[in-house]
Amino acid sequence: MTDYDVIVIGGGINGLTCAAYLGKAGLKTLLLEARGECGAHCDTAETNIPGFLHNLHTTWLVTAMSPAMGELELERFGLELRTTDVIYAKSFLDRKNALICNNPFETIQNWEKLSTKDAGIIRAATETFLPRIMDLIDIFHRYMFTAPSVQTLDDLDAIYSPFFKQIGMNTTFRQVYEMNGFEAMNRMFESEYIKTMLQSLSWISGLSPIHPRVGSIGTALLGPLTGPVVPVHLCKGGGHSLTHALVKAATTYGVTILTCCPVAAILMENGKAAGVKLSDHAVIRNETFTARTIISNVTVVPTFINMIGEDRIGTEMAARIKAFSYEEQNIIGVYYALSGKPQFASADFDEGIQRCCMGYFGGENSAEMETYARNLVGRKIHEKAIGNWFIPTLADPGQAPEGCHTSFVWFDVPPTPGKWKDETINGFMDWGRIKERVADMITDTYEQYAPGLKNLILDRTIYSPLDMYRNNPSAVKGNWAGGSIIPGQFYENRPVPGVIIKGASRTFLPNLYLSNSIHPFGSSNLASGYIAACEVATDMGVRDQGWWNEKACMWLLANAARIPANLGVGRTS
Amino acid sequence: MNNGKFDVAIIGGGPNGLICGAYLARTGLSVAILEARHETGGGLETLEFAGHKYNLHAIYHMMPEIMPPYQDFNLKARGVKYIFPDVQTAYFNKNRPPLLIYRDPEKTAQFIATHFTEQDGARYRRMYHDFSEYFQKILLPFTYVPAMGALDMVTALDNSSDDIGRRFNAITELTPTEIIDLYEFTDPLKACFLNLFTMWGISNFDGVGFLFPLYFNRMTNAALCAGGSHRLSSALYKTFIQAGGVVLDQAEVIKVSTTGGKADGVILKDGREIKATAVVSTVDPRQTFLQFFDPEEIPHELRQSAQKWEWEKQVFFGLHAALSCSPRYIGTEEYPDANRALISFFDISSTDAILDHADAIEAGRLPDRPLGHATCASIFDPIQAPEGLHTGRWECLVPFDADWEGIKDEYTQKCLSIWKSYAPNLDPIDIYAYPPTYIEKKFKNMVRGSIKQGSYKILQMGAFRPNDYCSRTWTPIGNFYVCGASVYPGGLVIAGPGYVGANVIAEDFGVKKTWEEPQCVTQARRNGFIRGL
Repeated sequence: MTDYDVIVIGGGINGLTCAAYLGKAGLKTLLLEARGECGAHCDTAETNIPGFLHNLHTTWLVTAMSPAMGELELERFGLELRTTDVIYAKSFLDRKNALICNNPFETIQNWEKLSTKDAGIIRAATETFLPRIMDLIDIFHRYMFTAPSVQTLDDLDAIYSPFFKQIGMNTTFRQVYEMNGFEAMNRMFESEYIKTMLQSLSWISGLSPIHPRVGSIGTALLGPLTGPVVPVHLCKGGGHSLTHALVKAATTYGVTILTCCPVAAILMENGKAAGVKLSDHAVIRNETFTARTIISNVTVVPTFINMIGEDRIGTEMAARIKAFSYEEQNIIGVYYALSGKPQFASADFDEGIQRCCMGYFGGENSAEMETYARNLVGRKIHEKAIGNWFIPTLADPGQAPEGCHTSFVWFDVPPTPGKWKDETINGFMDWGRIKERVADMITDTYEQYAPGLKNLILDRTIYSPLDMYRNNPSAVKGNWAGGSIIPGQFYENRPVPGVIIKGASRTFLPNLYLSNSIHPFGSSNLASGYIAACEVATDMGVRDQGWWNEKACMWLLANAARIPANLGVGRTS
Repeated sequence: MNNGKFDVAIIGGGPNGLICGAYLARTGLSVAILEARHETGGGLETLEFAGHKYNLHAIYHMMPEIMPPYQDFNLKARGVKYIFPDVQTAYFNKNRPPLLIYRDPEKTAQFIATHFTEQDGARYRRMYHDFSEYFQKILLPFTYVPAMGALDMVTALDNSSDDIGRRFNAITELTPTEIIDLYEFTDPLKACFLNLFTMWGISNFDGVGFLFPLYFNRMTNAALCAGGSHRLSSALYKTFIQAGGVVLDQAEVIKVSTTGGKADGVILKDGREIKATAVVSTVDPRQTFLQFFDPEEIPHELRQSAQKWEWEKQVFFGLHAALSCSPRYIGTEEYPDANRALISFFDISSTDAILDHADAIEAGRLPDRPLGHATCASIFDPIQAPEGLHTGRWECLVPFDADWEGIKDEYTQKCLSIWKSYAPNLDPIDIYAYPPTYIEKKFKNMVRGSIKQGSYKILQMGAFRPNDYCSRTWTPIGNFYVCGASVYPGGLVIAGPGYVGANVIAEDFGVKKTWEEPQCVTQARRNGFIRGL
């Protein structure tokens, strides 16, 4: 007899999702989290003046697209989504802006001010895709929430190729798929405003435009859809509220959650994963637990190199796993407590930006975006701050005291920088030395796009890749995506060829599954945890549940209209 | 906008709200906890930042494994583990060798006999023995039953078969300094012992000297919650959720609704209304009686007593530091244990100095040389810092009224320089200064930097906490109860109010309790100390 049916190592949102599904399916499930709090990338903390809630990572959620939204009853467990009607704004130094709105026709209006041709494309996309929303959702579900397959790519081709033809692009989906995001955008749009906006959106979604397939999926496929479908929200109380809902769901469904219990080793019996041993720092020191199935929600290197050990997986496999990259999808964040609301210089062009809770500044044209991307690969900190800004309080005023706001900026950086301007930087540990100065650069740049910002700053907190790693060592080098999303680690290749042998979560070691570092990649859609839960439940004979049939986005289609919007817009000061 | 109906609605998700809620939910009652913040736990807060665990409020748990919920909820199996450092306190003073107080009284007595005088060692043994007996037989059981009137208590103790009741009565009118004098201690030992009481911002002269043996006992048996204080609240939270309890975050209550003079629910700031058969407030008396009810809804005396409610005059200034190494204190070559004390105190020299320092703060003066203490939790619990690093905390008493935003950085440097003068190797890589204004900004019920929802003075203690109508959980308002830190026996994570509240409310609902009375309470009943519920 084992202690549990299933042990999940790691209580991030995907580990929690996986555990909650399996608990609800009737399996005796233990979840072990190394930190004190579950949901490492979903920390919401008062790191400076109390009353200002800072979302140290997850802020914009795409959870609404997840089947877990309904199947795990996340609303019943307290998850309340919020939004602003303008959901994304890229602002430019010439005081223009490009917007994406929840209402596609408002997006078109903004784009028409920038380029009639490009507005026509988004209009065509809206007219083409809205009537076919159920087909799209079906493919989307298979792409995001099931194992990678050639069939899914063929089906994407069947939908996108006619659309590309319709808008005058002489390319098939497969041809676009092999391009990087810059090429794909050049084929599709003429306006640098539109192109860089979609490049930035792809980038912050985890899909850097510099890479073939990764970047084209992000820009050319995401791009047309941003008109008709924008499943982006914030949640009341900050990103950590998603953790709260998942912890409540898992606990209610019978999952035992133990925190401050880092796992030191995955125990093997007859070549099969059979249990875990806790570290001697755990609150229950050196304890062992056995289970029929082990799911690792920590990333691939900690799982196989630290917890299993090279001797058990062979030197050749160990070498391949050790080569897994965590060098992209790393950010430095600067979190501001503000006495008032930032005013964007581009509001005269389109005041929609003042009703937008997230956007992007810097990267004035595709060439600069491309240099930024190349610098990242070349381990250079870009000499100008470019980044994703947020003002969460525009959607959820409760995240700051009355009349005040929170804002922050994420700037993509190489975690192990070698150079910044003319200065030599000595890699990962040097973040402690340079983070204040990098934060100053970010603040100065933010001021350029939102003049007067500096006068509003009451306090700030800086969060570097080193801080992120210390916060969660499974996020090697502070990576937030379960490992870099680069062609060699993308879709059917993820995480490392040979690690996953069937489906998307079953590893080459019997009884060991992954719910992180796998397809699609870490994000708040909860897909990795969902996929692992489906495969484990199938293998353990409990997949057939009356409640477990939902497709992606079904909850959103039924409920989008009642999600409160713009609660913090129009507040004084 | 109606958002559900519950048997019990509890205002406030701090330790007492969670404890009361978890007990009641386990009886089968439907219970909702309404928490104004985004996170439950109240003072059991642990900020996790860059791998450091900062216990921003409660850190020393003083009733760790003896609080009834620990056994009743099997918190150990939920990962709540307490660490009891061998050396509880170290007193550093540049003019003399350190004084170490061990958890083991015999070790302390020997240390004092060796480094101070033989007689002092023997006195310590005697004092510890007496206090420990007061604690076990009287103070501990009284923590987990409703308040008794002072006169009833004196009578019960006087008439008991065990003469400890009479001995305890003999000291209850004394001040802490007078109690220490009974054992003939002189400075610096007297000052060090007194400090275990005054460090909580409680005055030597407020008539609550009977608390001295309690604090002495607690502070020589203090523990760290492994992984940080929030692990306790998190386990209580999961106990509550598992029992079917509902927690609403960012659900700020602005009003208790009533029908026919009886409470029947709460109204939230966002307009939601929640109905409940019984409503429980765990927040302070001012919010409870001045904000949640209109004047005509409650007896005049309740409003009056709430208007008179006083906050602490001595509050805390804290520093939370990411450290590259643990502090190594000067003059510890011959006393290696001194670097492993749970709490290190600096500069304590004489009783007069402590009393003057307290007087100055009570008068609103900011000490130019604060009397501070420091803890490095990661020495005992490596999980509270990233590998190879440490997490430190400094705390000192200050008045609330100061331009804290303006002087925060300067005062940080002042405190740090004192700490560094004793631990020259200290080299913080990050510091989070936490002035008392931050306490008030964070918790609506911790006004003016309060840490116990209101001062411990004789007229706000015992059967007067929060007033003589409400100190036993019941209130004059039908279906309305109170059981937070402002209710007997008080705050500082001792679980008393929440536990007593759960007992009272469970009896009123007539539900079957899933727990047994603590043994110490049963024994105290046998001794005749406790009568009734």
